[in-house]
Amino acid sequence: MEMNKVNADVQASDQVRSPSGFSILWREIVRDKVALISLILLILTCMFVYGISLFLDQGEIVKVDLFAIHEPPNDQFILGTDYGGRDVFGQLIIGTRNSLSIGILVTLISGTVGILLGLISGYFGGHIDNAAMRLVDFFMVLPTLMIVIVFVTIVSDYSIWSFSLIMSAFLWMGIARLIRSKALQERELDYVQASKTLGSSNFKIMFAQVLPNLSSIIIVTMTLNLAANIGIESGLSFLGFGFPESTPSLGTLISYARNPQTLEFRWWIWLPAAILILILMLAINNVGQALKRATDARQRRG
Amino acid sequence: MWKFIVRRLFVTFPQIVILSVIIFILAQMMPGDALTGLIDPNIDPAAIEEQRERLGLNNPWYVQYSDWVKGVVQGDLGQSFRYKMPVSDLIEQRMINTFWLSLLTLIFTYAMAIPLGIISGRWNDTWLDRAITGYTYIGFAAPLFITALLMVWVFGFHFGWFPTGGSVAPGLTPGTFEYFISKLQHLLLPAFSMAVITTVSTVQYLRSEIIDTKQKDFIVTARAKGAPESRVYNRHIFRNSLLPIAAFFGYEISGLIGGSIFIESIFSFPGMGQLFLDSVLLRDYSVVTSVVLIFGIAAILGALLSDIILSIVDPRIRIK
Amino acid sequence: MGKTKLMKALLALMLVLLVALAACSGDSDDGQSEGTDSGSDSGDSAEADDEGESDSESELYSIDDFNQIKTNEGEAIDGGTLTFGLVSDTAFEGTLNWNFYSGDPDAQILDWFDEALLTWDENYVYTNDGAATYEISEDGHVFTFTIGDNVNWHDGEPVTAEDWLFAHEVIGHPDYDGPRYGSDFTNIEGMEEYHAGEADTISGIKVIDDKTLEITYIQATPSLVTGSIWTYPLAKHIFGDMEVAEMSASPEVRENPIGFGPFKVESIVPGESVTMVKNEDYWRGEPNLDGVTVKVINPNVVVQELESGGVDTVSAFQVDQYPDNADMSNVEYLGRIDRSYSYIGFKLGTWDKENGEVVTDPEAKMADVNLRKAMWHAVDNTTVGERFYNGLRWNATTLIPPSHPEFHDDSNAGVSYDPEAAKQLLDEAGYVDVDGDNFRENPDGEELVINFASMSGGEVAEPLAQYYIQAWEQVGLNVQLLDGRLQEFNSFYDRVGQNGDDDPAVDIYSAAWGVGIDVDPRGLYGRDAIFNFSRYSSDKNDELLAAGVSEDAFELENRQKVYNEWQQFMIDEVPVFPTLYRSELVPVNNRVHNYYIGDGTNMYRYDIAVTQEEPIVAE
Repeated sequence: MEMNKVNADVQASDQVRSPSGFSILWREIVRDKVALISLILLILTCMFVYGISLFLDQGEIVKVDLFAIHEPPNDQFILGTDYGGRDVFGQLIIGTRNSLSIGILVTLISGTVGILLGLISGYFGGHIDNAAMRLVDFFMVLPTLMIVIVFVTIVSDYSIWSFSLIMSAFLWMGIARLIRSKALQERELDYVQASKTLGSSNFKIMFAQVLPNLSSIIIVTMTLNLAANIGIESGLSFLGFGFPESTPSLGTLISYARNPQTLEFRWWIWLPAAILILILMLAINNVGQALKRATDARQRRG
Repeated sequence: MWKFIVRRLFVTFPQIVILSVIIFILAQMMPGDALTGLIDPNIDPAAIEEQRERLGLNNPWYVQYSDWVKGVVQGDLGQSFRYKMPVSDLIEQRMINTFWLSLLTLIFTYAMAIPLGIISGRWNDTWLDRAITGYTYIGFAAPLFITALLMVWVFGFHFGWFPTGGSVAPGLTPGTFEYFISKLQHLLLPAFSMAVITTVSTVQYLRSEIIDTKQKDFIVTARAKGAPESRVYNRHIFRNSLLPIAAFFGYEISGLIGGSIFIESIFSFPGMGQLFLDSVLLRDYSVVTSVVLIFGIAAILGALLSDIILSIVDPRIRIK
Repeated sequence: MGKTKLMKALLALMLVLLVALAACSGDSDDGQSEGTDSGSDSGDSAEADDEGESDSESELYSIDDFNQIKTNEGEAIDGGTLTFGLVSDTAFEGTLNWNFYSGDPDAQILDWFDEALLTWDENYVYTNDGAATYEISEDGHVFTFTIGDNVNWHDGEPVTAEDWLFAHEVIGHPDYDGPRYGSDFTNIEGMEEYHAGEADTISGIKVIDDKTLEITYIQATPSLVTGSIWTYPLAKHIFGDMEVAEMSASPEVRENPIGFGPFKVESIVPGESVTMVKNEDYWRGEPNLDGVTVKVINPNVVVQELESGGVDTVSAFQVDQYPDNADMSNVEYLGRIDRSYSYIGFKLGTWDKENGEVVTDPEAKMADVNLRKAMWHAVDNTTVGERFYNGLRWNATTLIPPSHPEFHDDSNAGVSYDPEAAKQLLDEAGYVDVDGDNFRENPDGEELVINFASMSGGEVAEPLAQYYIQAWEQVGLNVQLLDGRLQEFNSFYDRVGQNGDDDPAVDIYSAAWGVGIDVDPRGLYGRDAIFNFSRYSSDKNDELLAAGVSEDAFELENRQKVYNEWQQFMIDEVPVFPTLYRSELVPVNNRVHNYYIGDGTNMYRYDIAVTQEEPIVAE
């Protein structure tokens, strides 16, 4: 839902400047049936998950019931229970919500940082650009996963927010580099030069003119990043450096499969989460790829 | 050319220094230390405290850092608190394993990616192409650890075709043929599991590159001149598309590092990734710092290598 | 692109999952029996329900049904090799010498090729059946040891009194980097002077002749004969010329370790495996097996390795895997009561670093003994043991576990599960709900929130902690997880106070202790014990603990009386309360003969034999 809001914001400013950008993206999605189905699937999942989780009480779901341990799916528990007698279905809903929220948060935070830095660096060029790019270079070569793992062991009480911040700290470079190269191209264009001679402030040119022109590429990148970020969260949880069980996520559910007994005999705990994560990532990627084609005139379908 | 390399090296050095400081501080900030694990009523706490003092674990971080740097400059990465042996020896044992794992993964990756990419690019929009792109889609979406778990389960346990842990069968003498075969056997499944995922981006890249090149003027000209189709592909298209892939291999190293952590943990493969996870859990600072630093340097050098290859392939990059 | 592609993608996905599912259900058919199949066929929900019912209602096990010694079936062959699975999710450290090792994985390997000079019986008292024998002087201070004439190192050199003395000299040396130097050593006359560098020799240890050693202890206590003597010699002819600081990293410890046990190390793959061959010159006699291979296996693959015959037996087996694999056809499960217990502790004070002792604070949040006892009444450990561990862990009653049958007071029932009694105790002590939020306030009418520190890591750690919190909520106590989550191992012990810096935020905590072979609880509950995390102390406690190791206590009956009294005293005072006793299970392949676990079986590793060359594979 946050995503939609961003889309709407960008869209509003976009329509003033270049009416074509957004309609191209939209047209491409509608043409590509797979992408359209994926998008609808995504929106439905989001609505379903966020909607239902409003009526679910996390405390209630992670409540331990000694007399309902490892129940297979039945009438009372649609997806059975885990080793604490906790309802897997409820955990799946809350877990998907948590994983999605983290993915979205990380994408937004890292995206914002990356866009700002890339834009400033590309627009001004020169020493600023040089310094910023050295920084990007440095972060690019960091063994990110390892540093995040060390970070996570240091931060003792992390929430969705702190976790997202830690991850974002190491994931903003790609988008910064991309935006910077595009901004470098843009600033040579006539409209920027014209605005400059007209006396518009750099700030205004950057955010009111250059940024909207880059909106479609930003959306494409952010969409593809979203899928990757959800994957990273579940990976960390899988290694045991993610969330505690009292905050379920798709990763914590899948990591139950590390126990061979669970993997073999109690599929209902981990399999739904594994399928869901695959479907989510497939869908997001499909949408992302369609959007990407839309921005690349050569590959556009129509 | 040389100037470019020297300049790049010049940038690389401070990167490594900053990396080492950051990692050192982070490692120090982890709660507990290597001796926390020795909670055992049979061990006298005073003895532990004495060891702590002797190992310098009670010193402030900058004192420990300068001690550590002094050692590193002399090629001494320090002592592992946990394994009670020089970190460099410990890492040497593990690095060999990770090196072979990475190498085999790369070989698998390219051995799969190049034919798949070529088939899918050359005959695009056939059913074969669709199957291949379908695989790349799933491969792109499937997290590495899910794939690896399934692999262990299906091929390791269910069919029992491959060993599911360790790097070599016990009791074999290094250097013998059996030893080599056993090593290879232990490597195949983990390397393949990782390659299945890492292949994806290369296949996608190669496919779109070939489709692009197909429509370029010089190919159209070559065709118009009546050059046979296979010659067009072998001589012109592949050469053009494959060169950048060769160059990207340096960048692959970062990906392999991340992957090795998952793979080694799932396959209980005693390499650097597993050593890292163990050391984080056991709070073996000197090992954590050294492993991350070595991986960092590997990634930095990989990027450097790729940049150099790319600059040879495509001189425009050098100007940057 | 097109619809076909997505369909294909999804189809492929489903196929992958189907393969996985097929694989899983296939296995579960093999591994499971009767009505306990937990429903890998998801077909009929009603049926699945029934199965679930039977799964959770039945299948309670008792440790009394397990043997410590393997039943032998069939005829043993000459030779053969045994594969021992060292279960560990980390590589073993490879400090393969008793004098330097610190981790359990190393100890598991050491057990095969080196041994203690003294053996002990089922009550952990030293016997005279080992490689050495001992005699105690009238006053109990002087021990004279005689090493058997045929006890030789793997390289043929005899194990001498010099070697034994040398081990003491190395461990007491200021440069020694292992964790063994402690009260066992400082109790030797002249040890502290030697350790401080004031003396060149340890005055209390005398080499009488090649095979005879005499050690004088400062304090004569019954603990001496239950594990407080250092019985591992160090080969002086090998380590004699080495700097003490370099010994633990030397190839003589890591690559070519030496011992005098039934097997000798042939080759080592660092961190992964050790191959050993028999020591024909072993002092008890030539071992039956040709050799032993020890290899590290991940806890996640234990069952598969056992089923496939990849290992004959393992060093540890998680009891929660037992119900699913109880009828594995190719193994027999051995079992015994583990020397450990889980407990919940109440923070009652702090640690005074200066004086090295606990300072009990009568004003502490948990200082009211009725509050503590009510919290014990409120938890139903019998059900916890049955539900989470299928009876393989069970309600604990006192702080001396039944693994020490001589001292565990069977007649003491501890504090029973009785929420009504808990409520009554709280009411009487003034803990009542004043503001109507369903949680009790403290006697001053202030809100009472109890912070609970619990460790992550164990298989059911999280649900277990949640269960306790819920149980306390039932009697009206507001208990919250510290920081809202489980604490990772290192931070947990840091905050509970393993360095003496107790985190004041912790009010109660749950942990577990492995008990040494010596029953003496001073190391965990004494006034000067840093591991006394509850920081409880009292004169009566001091008195009882001291009485337990006094010279009077050499009389078994006296010692039993003292410890029975102490167990009851701790139940009355509740500085901590035990929750669960544990059992240890070890599956052993059916081809193995004479295998045993635990102490006092009068069996030794050189007896172990096999009936066929290859392990039996599960049907």
